[in-house]
Amino acid sequence: MLNIEEIFKILPQRFPFVMIDRILELEPKKRVVAIKNISFNEEFFGGHFPGRPVMPGVLIIEAMAQASIILFYESKVSLKEKDMIYYLGAVKVRFSRPVTPGDQLKLVIEPLKILSNAAIVKAQAFVADTEVASGELSFVAKEDAK
Amino acid sequence: MQDIDTQIRDLVAQIVEKTPDEIKPDSRFVEDLGMDSMMALEILAAIEKKYKISIPEEKLAEFKTLNDTLAVVKENLAKKDNHA
Repeated sequence: MLNIEEIFKILPQRFPFVMIDRILELEPKKRVVAIKNISFNEEFFGGHFPGRPVMPGVLIIEAMAQASIILFYESKVSLKEKDMIYYLGAVKVRFSRPVTPGDQLKLVIEPLKILSNAAIVKAQAFVADTEVASGELSFVAKEDAK
Repeated sequence: MQDIDTQIRDLVAQIVEKTPDEIKPDSRFVEDLGMDSMMALEILAAIEKKYKISIPEEKLAEFKTLNDTLAVVKENLAKKDNHA
């Protein structure tokens, strides 16, 4: 539904910190489904861990956060054509299974509360329909004063 | 069941990471309890979920103390009951 070029119009993050590849479903104010393909070539696997590649949980949270940005942005007409910076406020996430090379991470985000400049969302991550992480994120959006 | 005053005090205490008895009815959230805007949003979301009400964003600015918060919540609950 959104390819990487369209994602780049919304997300401020760039290489090597883009944690979503494509948006599969997007319903403003209701839900977003994003994917991130995990390849052994990911730089972090070199050190996490040598000989035993496991995707760091904090990067799963980052992927959830980036999918949340897309949902927030698309839910807010007032944000269009503004440069925004997003700050995570609180994270409460539980991890249930490791994510390894070859996995496709699917992120499902639903808002619990959206304000004009902040939101709390419910976030879930799946690999092949098995939940690997779930929780809640809260974040604020501020206009980038460059 | 605890009364609503106690429930909301406990909820605020949990979010600002204080013990419930540190939250006085007139403790100022920001100045006395160190609450930030993210915590205020969490309190709003937690109250909405718990009482199944919807509090408009403008009301968030009125959440300055526990008493202020209770006033907004009770007003909102009263509206909800009237509609039921």
